[in-house]
Amino acid sequence: MKKVRLATVWLDGCSGCHMSLLDMDAGVIALAGQADIVYGPLVDAQEFPEEVDVTLVEGAVSSQDDVNRIQKIRARTRILVALGDCAVTSNVPSMRNSIPVNRLLQRVYVEGAQENKGLPVDGVPQLLKQACPVHDFVKVDLHVPGCPPSSQVILGVVSDVLAGRKPDLGSKARFG
Amino acid sequence: MPAIQDISTFHAVRETGLNKLVPPVPRVAIGMGTCGRGNGAEGLYHAFAEAIDRTGADVQLTGVGCFGACSEEPLVNIRLPGRALVVLRRAQANDAERILHDISMGQITPDLAYCRVDEWDHITAHVKYGPGYPELPSWNEVPFFKGQKKIVLRNCGFINPDDIEESIAVGGYEALYKVLIDGRPEIVIEQIKASKLRGRGGAGYLTGNKWEFLAKAKADQKYIICNADEGDPGAYMNRNEIESDPHSLLEGMIIGGYVMGATEGIIYVRAEYPLAVHRLKRAIEQATEYGMLGENILGRGFRFNIELVEGAGAFVCGEETALIASLEGQAGRPRPRPPFPAQKGLWGKPTNINNVETWYNIAPIVTKGPAWFTETGSAKSSGTKVFSLVGKVQNTGLVEMPLGTPLKNFIYDIGEGGVNGRTIKAVQTGGPSGGCIPQDMFDTPVDYESLGQLGSIMGSGGMVVMDEDNCMVDVARYFIEFTRSESCGKCVPCRVGLNQALRILNGFTEGTGPVDRLDVLDELSRMIRDCSLCGLGQTAPNPVLTTMRHFRHEFEDHVVAQRCRAGVCEELALSPCENSCPLHMNIPRFLQLYKEGRMEDAFEAVIMDNPLPSSTGRVCQHPCDNRCRRQTVDEAVNMREVHRLIADSILTSDRYEEMVGRIVARRFPPTGYKIAIAGAGPTGLTAAFYLAMLGHEVTVFDAKSEAGGMLRFALPDYRLPKSVLRREVELIERVGVQFVFNTRVGFDVPLNELDERFDAVFISIGTWKDSWVYLPGTELKGVHTALHVLESVAKKEEMPLGRRVAIIGGGNAAIDSARTALRRGSEVLILYRRERNDMPAIEEETEAAQQEGAKIEFLVAPHRIIGDAQGNVKAIEVVKTRLGEYDSSGRRKPVPTGEIRRFECDNVILAVGESFDLDFARASGLQMKESGTIEVDRFTLETSRSTFYAGGDVITGASNVSNAMGYGKKAARNIDERLMGVHRWTQLFPEFDYDQTPPEQPVESRRHTGHHVPVGARARSFDEVVLGLTAEEAHEEACRCLRCDIKSVNAG
Amino acid sequence: MPQRVLSIRIDGELVSTTEGKTILEAARASGKYIPTLCYLEGLSAVGACRLCIVQVAGIDRLLPACTTPVQNGMSVTTKSPKLAEYRRIAVELLLVERNHVCAVCVSNGHCELQAMACSLGVTHVRYPYDYPKLPVDMSHERFVLDQNRCILCTRCVRVCAEVEGAHVWEIISRGIQARLVSELNQAWGDAASCTNCGKCVQACPTGALSEKGHAVEEMVKRNDNISALAVWRGVEA
Repeated sequence: MKKVRLATVWLDGCSGCHMSLLDMDAGVIALAGQADIVYGPLVDAQEFPEEVDVTLVEGAVSSQDDVNRIQKIRARTRILVALGDCAVTSNVPSMRNSIPVNRLLQRVYVEGAQENKGLPVDGVPQLLKQACPVHDFVKVDLHVPGCPPSSQVILGVVSDVLAGRKPDLGSKARFG
Repeated sequence: MPAIQDISTFHAVRETGLNKLVPPVPRVAIGMGTCGRGNGAEGLYHAFAEAIDRTGADVQLTGVGCFGACSEEPLVNIRLPGRALVVLRRAQANDAERILHDISMGQITPDLAYCRVDEWDHITAHVKYGPGYPELPSWNEVPFFKGQKKIVLRNCGFINPDDIEESIAVGGYEALYKVLIDGRPEIVIEQIKASKLRGRGGAGYLTGNKWEFLAKAKADQKYIICNADEGDPGAYMNRNEIESDPHSLLEGMIIGGYVMGATEGIIYVRAEYPLAVHRLKRAIEQATEYGMLGENILGRGFRFNIELVEGAGAFVCGEETALIASLEGQAGRPRPRPPFPAQKGLWGKPTNINNVETWYNIAPIVTKGPAWFTETGSAKSSGTKVFSLVGKVQNTGLVEMPLGTPLKNFIYDIGEGGVNGRTIKAVQTGGPSGGCIPQDMFDTPVDYESLGQLGSIMGSGGMVVMDEDNCMVDVARYFIEFTRSESCGKCVPCRVGLNQALRILNGFTEGTGPVDRLDVLDELSRMIRDCSLCGLGQTAPNPVLTTMRHFRHEFEDHVVAQRCRAGVCEELALSPCENSCPLHMNIPRFLQLYKEGRMEDAFEAVIMDNPLPSSTGRVCQHPCDNRCRRQTVDEAVNMREVHRLIADSILTSDRYEEMVGRIVARRFPPTGYKIAIAGAGPTGLTAAFYLAMLGHEVTVFDAKSEAGGMLRFALPDYRLPKSVLRREVELIERVGVQFVFNTRVGFDVPLNELDERFDAVFISIGTWKDSWVYLPGTELKGVHTALHVLESVAKKEEMPLGRRVAIIGGGNAAIDSARTALRRGSEVLILYRRERNDMPAIEEETEAAQQEGAKIEFLVAPHRIIGDAQGNVKAIEVVKTRLGEYDSSGRRKPVPTGEIRRFECDNVILAVGESFDLDFARASGLQMKESGTIEVDRFTLETSRSTFYAGGDVITGASNVSNAMGYGKKAARNIDERLMGVHRWTQLFPEFDYDQTPPEQPVESRRHTGHHVPVGARARSFDEVVLGLTAEEAHEEACRCLRCDIKSVNAG
Repeated sequence: MPQRVLSIRIDGELVSTTEGKTILEAARASGKYIPTLCYLEGLSAVGACRLCIVQVAGIDRLLPACTTPVQNGMSVTTKSPKLAEYRRIAVELLLVERNHVCAVCVSNGHCELQAMACSLGVTHVRYPYDYPKLPVDMSHERFVLDQNRCILCTRCVRVCAEVEGAHVWEIISRGIQARLVSELNQAWGDAASCTNCGKCVQACPTGALSEKGHAVEEMVKRNDNISALAVWRGVEA
């Protein structure tokens, strides 16, 4: 059987969802037999490849760079999974959303800075006005809430998706 | 005045009142409602008072309420002793003196006279005002009043509302007296039940049942409440009723109190209605003084008091449980029912709440009986209802009509149709809780059930008429914005749901909403409707649900194509002119470039927006004119003529070659894709130009021998010289388009062959098949179709026309053939079945034809054509028509009267429409619509067959050149995007730097128009008739542009 | 006077109850679950959250189970795909209205809104988030009011008025602007009428009202005490 091409992506999040993914212990072995991880923080690939079967997205969309990435990822992915509260609800990154971006950066990088006071400009992607859930920008096929979703939930979801089943998350996955 | 305790005193008061109402001296009564005051009634009153003082005229001056015709305010009614009452309209303060002077001469000022009233049924009394003034229309002959039946408004505009004696004079308190004397409350309840009166506040619950409920409730204290918290935007019927006739309300409530066993009445009235509050206070004082309120009412031992409570203007307080909470001093938030107020209402006591207008119906039912009441209205909705007819109709105002009257009577008869000939699109009934009903459903009778079936409600009777300038998405957004801000916030669906609905709708009007949000909004609206706690939330989604149901295409326009056809949603348009242009030309830009003297840039901007600029500069229907904001200053900018001048001055000059070079240089590198286009008319040429510019290899097939389609073969030379068209076609050839003439797609080249040879096929053939009318005599020699005549002349073929030519039709083809026949020396008679205003032909063209000597006979339909012995046309018989009902196009349907007229003639030209020969398309499996046009996705123009696209007349039926070209442009964009998989369209267009400052305070200036060659010089010649602007004139026109494209001075 | 015994059907099953009970009370008494958020046993019912909407045979409108009295022979449907969808929408609407960041909430894991979303299968919200800017009132010595988590269920308002009798809480403004405020819209710490009893904190279904000193996930509510208290005080609604 052809192995499923699986990618993971880390946008504006804390990497907790990836940690939870790694936390599935022996489950990883079964997964490895069915899927190749073709892209993500866990593997060494520079460019998001074409024709990915399943992509797990961690994190909210917070910057223009995130927007560009998620659009490209969407175009190259068959099943896009929003993994964890940041991707699903924008969660902790959204706590800045009621503050204007300039005000926010000023507070952090000028008023709050010990040294090198000044707004970062070079090589830093521009922040969006608000951090938003992934489905505000692209179509999401499956939402898996949780902060992070437990490794068991992730394992269940990924196994179902790899097997071509639609996971039933009712009463299993909760926000927070 | 001591309280009235017996019938003889009552009658004496009535006599006194009558003496005031129809005094032995002239009476001048000014309409002093809020509406009249807003139009200067107070100044008018003072002017009269002052003039009467000064001249010592023996005239009785008084203020009355409103007679309903808001668009004619201020209204004044004048009665000379013994003569009819005359209503004057739009009287101003400086008219007072001459009106008084005329009165002193025993006359009525003729230029202000609106209508007369000989006698009036005040329902509970009948007053004969007198005869006279046969030259004036009786009130019910005026369109605005025709069909109205005034039961609720029986006294409005006649009596002085501040004088109880005038009220008694017209039958006020008589029903109350009768009820008290009879002393049988249960009979009254039976009467109300039998009348089938339904609550006029909106929900339409049977009033009699409600009353019986309360009458049967056992309690030491009961309350009855009048809900006068009228809060719908655009609704003001309750205000007017109270301001014009407060005593009829009190009377209804006192009767209600008596029969339901309540001793306390409360009127909850909006504080925003100061005049109504004032009138009510005054009325309660007087009613108490005259013994209609208080202890021992009319000497019959009944005690009843009415208290006035001013509401602070929260819309939700119109909901009965919220209203009660508000009366109890709590925040106006509704609570779930049951328990209903009749069980547990104000202060926990049984309570009955009725709307103002419901109370006004009580006395008439008591006096005249339920059988009389049910004569009016429909089976389930009896009686009348007062509506405020507002919005885009010519006559606006308060209208009282029998329930069950079809909507179209309101809009076309009473309202007299759209303003400035605009097409009416929908009517919103029931205010923010109601729904929008589309024009094709105007046959709907206005009653509770019928409106409910369409997802709307009767509501308090608001009727807002909308025309093509209204955007239905914006309408839905407006009402949701209103209900959202008026939601009390108690229940989740209404509080949060409406806020979310507004956010989604805002997204649509800004063109940012993702497409699937349409379904999200639909589901959310249903949830709010089904789950909200009170009537506010349950009805608030109606405007969204009905507009999404009846105007889904407008929502899709916004969300899919980011277009707002009405031009209301500013984010979606560059400027009103750009938005209205089927080609979406950047009009302000070429005007500015021309103004800056940059002719080459202006030409490049124009031709890249519109590849047939000289032709369209002459024959476009210029929808931009109707939208131009300059009209608010003086007249629309003549954009078309400037555009024509720009195009002409390059196309016919030695700069042509250089500019062709510049355009060709913009062409994208070859893509290798091959595209076939069927039809070299305006649609096909436009698509071909853009597709070639985008680097594709384009071949255009056409059945005729030259390119141009209708422009070449149907438009006469005097409108469009063919040399102009030839230059444009040459340019299109120069960017690489290949033509194959004398080849019919579907016949000479089968579609399957095109499919094999080309990567995409665009079908854009014209309506070359004439419509034929089935009329006796069309087989005679000398009967032609308009297209046949025009095409023969354009091809310089033999086209013999006799001395007298009759033309049937009223469109552009009729006028073109008329002017062509005139130029051939014939006498021309155009026969048209409707009226002048209904003619679809361009107005200027019709005028020019008449100047050149064409006669037009309106309201005649062809009956038969008569031939002579040789089979030649000898005469035509027509049947006179009259205009009947309104049809679905919003025009009156011509109905034959049977009267036959005969006109001698040698030829008959049929100009009754065109159709096409699309059998080949059907045969090759393209899906067709019932109308016979090709079915396409309206955003991508894709047909049911992959890689096949269609646009122009083949999908719309016969249209005009700019519409046709718009489809060509759209097709090119979509074909390119589909072939290339990326969006390259916007890169095709040049960008220019030009001044971005809006003009300072514009001063009024004249619009320049093209120069018509004098009739004498043109009438027999095929030379061009309208000559363009001079350079100076064009510059002045360009300077008149207000630059609506500059959104904000501080943009950025 | 003994109350009349009525019999109604809930989801097809015959249930016996007494006159004056609501559908919700009848359902709960017979062990049937109808979701609620603004309802709390022992307090008056307001029918605001609309989660307990049910279908009653013969009535077009959906009715809140918490305020609709039973009638003999009534047939009630509490579960249907439509009701489930509408309840999901209600929860989604509550989630977008304020800033419910479960991950950093004191009530994480002990929150009725969070649990409701989970049990109704709300895995994401289809509506645009509001992200309002809202204050946190820390002025009270022992308690915190976090507007970001408030769902305006008014359980605190009612428990304070009906059980404690202090009337500290009220809702001001209307529509989406509606806010919970303490005594004349002043800081909670300045509310002289507050008896510091903490019933509002226990009644609150979310992390809007909490005791000071609790970190994320630590605020466990004990609102079952409230109904007992209400009965004890003889003020049961």
